[in-house]
Amino acid sequence: MSDLRLAARPMTRRTLGTLLAAGAGATTLAACGTRGGTPGPNTPLRISAINHVWSQAVRERLPEFEEQIGRRVSMQLLTADQLANSYNVKLNASATDIDVMMVRALQEQLLFARNGWLADLTGLVGSDAGFAWSDFQDAPRERSVTRGKVLSVPVVTERPALYYRKDLMDAPPATLDALREAALDLTGDDLFGYVGRGQRSGAVTQWSSFLYSFGGDFTTPDGGSGIGSPEAVAAYRFYGELLDRAGPPGATNMSLEQAMPIFAQGKAAFYVDADAIYSNFLDEKISTVRDRVGFAPFPAGPAGSRPHNIPSWSLGINEFSRLRDDAWRFIRWVSGPEMVTTLQTAGIPGARSSVWADPATLASFPADLAEAMRINARNGVGIDRPAVIQVGRARDIVGRPLVAGILGQDVAPVAADAHAEFADFLVRDNRQQEF
Amino acid sequence: MKARVWLRALAIVIVCLVIAMPVVWMIAAAFKTNVQVTDPSVGLWFTPTLENFRAVLADGEIVRSLGNSALVGVVSTVLSAVIAVPAAWAVGRFRMHSTGSLVLVARIVPAISLLVPWYYLFAQLGLVGSYTVLVLSHMFVSVPLILWIMIGFFEGLPVELEEAARTDGLSAFGAFLRIALPLAAPGTATASVLAFIFSWNNFMFALILSDEDTKTMPVTLFNFISYASTDWGGLMAAATLMTVPVLVAAVAGQKYLVAGLTAGATKG
Amino acid sequence: MATMTFERSNRRLRWLMLAPALGFVGLMIIFPLLFTLNLSLTDAFGAVNAGNSYHGVRNYADALADGRRFWPAVWRTVFFTIGAVVIETVLGLAIAMLLRRPFRGMRIVRSILMVPLLATPVAIGILWLLILDPTNGIANHLLGGLGIAPQEFLGSVSQSLPVLMLIDVWQWTPMMALLLLAGLSTLPEEPEEAARVDGATAWQRFRFVVLPMLMTTLMTALVLRAVDALKTFDILYATKGPGGGSDFEVETLNVYAYGLTFDYQEYGLASAVLVLFTLFIIGVVVLLRRRSGKASA
Repeated sequence: MSDLRLAARPMTRRTLGTLLAAGAGATTLAACGTRGGTPGPNTPLRISAINHVWSQAVRERLPEFEEQIGRRVSMQLLTADQLANSYNVKLNASATDIDVMMVRALQEQLLFARNGWLADLTGLVGSDAGFAWSDFQDAPRERSVTRGKVLSVPVVTERPALYYRKDLMDAPPATLDALREAALDLTGDDLFGYVGRGQRSGAVTQWSSFLYSFGGDFTTPDGGSGIGSPEAVAAYRFYGELLDRAGPPGATNMSLEQAMPIFAQGKAAFYVDADAIYSNFLDEKISTVRDRVGFAPFPAGPAGSRPHNIPSWSLGINEFSRLRDDAWRFIRWVSGPEMVTTLQTAGIPGARSSVWADPATLASFPADLAEAMRINARNGVGIDRPAVIQVGRARDIVGRPLVAGILGQDVAPVAADAHAEFADFLVRDNRQQEF
Repeated sequence: MKARVWLRALAIVIVCLVIAMPVVWMIAAAFKTNVQVTDPSVGLWFTPTLENFRAVLADGEIVRSLGNSALVGVVSTVLSAVIAVPAAWAVGRFRMHSTGSLVLVARIVPAISLLVPWYYLFAQLGLVGSYTVLVLSHMFVSVPLILWIMIGFFEGLPVELEEAARTDGLSAFGAFLRIALPLAAPGTATASVLAFIFSWNNFMFALILSDEDTKTMPVTLFNFISYASTDWGGLMAAATLMTVPVLVAAVAGQKYLVAGLTAGATKG
Repeated sequence: MATMTFERSNRRLRWLMLAPALGFVGLMIIFPLLFTLNLSLTDAFGAVNAGNSYHGVRNYADALADGRRFWPAVWRTVFFTIGAVVIETVLGLAIAMLLRRPFRGMRIVRSILMVPLLATPVAIGILWLLILDPTNGIANHLLGGLGIAPQEFLGSVSQSLPVLMLIDVWQWTPMMALLLLAGLSTLPEEPEEAARVDGATAWQRFRFVVLPMLMTTLMTALVLRAVDALKTFDILYATKGPGGGSDFEVETLNVYAYGLTFDYQEYGLASAVLVLFTLFIIGVVVLLRRRSGKASA
């Protein structure tokens, strides 16, 4: 330590002054509330969560859990971007002030596993018969495992729903071609035929269902780029054209937050997005289409109806957490059969087979939505974005041709360019996967 | 000649309108219903409602964020003044202008390159408390700012007063404490108000370094866009609550603030 | 003027007075700079401390050879900065000359000039989103009144950067005007008077008498403004989100570095880009200062 070396020298008044000043500074700072050492009974259990209907519902029910463990729970709700930022900054510094982490198994889990930021839950999920790990749906459960270890527990699942206006048509379109035709027909002065995500990165997950239904995929079976295939280009072209010709102005600036209100305010005839957000359209504060919104399964493309069915949000435990036992008790409580039943009955789709099999849990959903979810789940593909370690960069590459299509440009050359870029990226990304 | 006077007056009025109009529009929107906000034909003549402010002030998150912004602003400004004013006196009195260039260095470095290392450093020191990192990061802006303004101020203070005090037996430090510091009070106040305003407005540091309990107002404001993109009235009310204190300060102390803002620019 | 005795006896005191501030700013800058420099030479990815290995200047080579993201970001940064700063300087100078002679109401005008630069940038970004909303915004409504077709503004790929430049102009021109006004107030009267007696026109007096005397202030203001314009972030983030727009249309170097750090976690490459960016800003400052040195000489 430098202090010792300093002490070995005769102390001049100057060093003394500097030390005093530095010491005064440090004490002031330390007084601002540092958290070190072992956690006491007053240390709260800290949960970092996405601001989502699930988190809000759980937050309301926290007091009963706090009673159980005799510890305060502090749950912070952030946007997806901010959540990712706070993980990066804090976990890079091995911070202990996050215990339970809400993560996207398809977005961050592989990277966090590589960084060693997620605690291994294999023993915990396996040893608890009442928890019934095998009750979780196959696809989400498989996505929770990285390199043979269970690193997260899925709590919210999502499929794309086709939201449509019952007052404008007799029946929802069953095929993508019919959807396009109807959307173009309905587009007028004060109505957009179609609204959906058009932001480069945000749109990729919603576009995945179009890609699969056209018979394409992000990657080829041997791990190369799949976005240059004729099927992928057709899917790009279809999606871009739909938003370009039937969508609102400025669609390339729209993600979920911007697109959803347009449908909610009655300005669009069709909207494809996550089924987990349906409650917005039934909320009188936001929606003017409460009694006119219909729900349908994802329309069929040339390769049939192949929507994604994914675990959108899962819970993991921070490797550096000092409250691991309580963190697990929280996950156990919030993803156990009882709570998942409660939440799904309140309209938040979970990941447990037994809960989905119980008709009572779907009774609160509108009948056509429950049916659409069931059909989508049956046809579903378990992933909605490239299965790589650097999902952020992959989405930016894959999303470029989408944007070109929305801007009315010729998709083919942009897709060819993105295909080459993606192929290079996959080679690099594969090298990172050796851990 | 008469025509030129009127022409100049007209030009001044136009400039002021262009500058003030967007902010006036924001404050007006804060008193509109959401239907009125999104109807551009509703101009500045409408029946105002306080509903947006009521909703915003009932929102615990916003009130807490305003409190956080104030707390971080005050603490970082006070600490910055405590270390920057003596330093400015030293630079001003002893003409150590190489240190003045330090100010520019602090302004040059892109903030993004500081955030991760800072957090890393403070984590190693065990200082990753909730407000600590935020206060330190805001001080990084305030210290150079106050230093910059106060150097010019002390250079403008006649040294004879302090010299006289020295011959009366005060030490140099005593002269600083008893003579220079009281004389520098108005300058310090100006510099501190500006430092507080820049802390109050700071977005990027809090975006990365704050969490739910310590979130400052700019971050909360941005969240508003993400979730409640339709609640323009509430958003504008929150933005107004954030901006008005600053505007009041600007109008009340405009002469001093302008002097502070332009300090250092008129010297070579 | 400080006398010699005053100087010598206080050498220790001055350093004591300086130490806390210098130490603080130094620590807050030097550590991150070293940290960043060190990272920029590694293949750090995912986590800053996860077994990185050194691979020399490869990140710098990668960045400089990247015509897809890096160079466009450089050009956008240059375009935005030059555009914004030039307009701000010209308009600021015009406004300063307009307000130079005292008039009634100066206090109010000065207060109004302070509004944009003291308002919260994020709030300003959100405010302009409302004003420029393609369907419900007042801007298109006014344009419609003039018979101009509605524009997409920030919803459009091609218009975003110019629109943001104009928002920056609105926000910072008044600051420029205030700085130049302060500069004008320190100028001596005589040279102008002499020129007037010699029969110089108003424009000639401004061009050949006022402007050369104002050059030092102008250059200082220009340097400060250019540094801040190069680093613009808040309004870009508040209006276009963290991704720099769907077609990377507002991805300046700062936004790109942010994305590399917080979205891609490519800390090695991000650090190299940040080092290059910092050198770039220093280059601009040195260049401008050298110009200003010539100007005042």
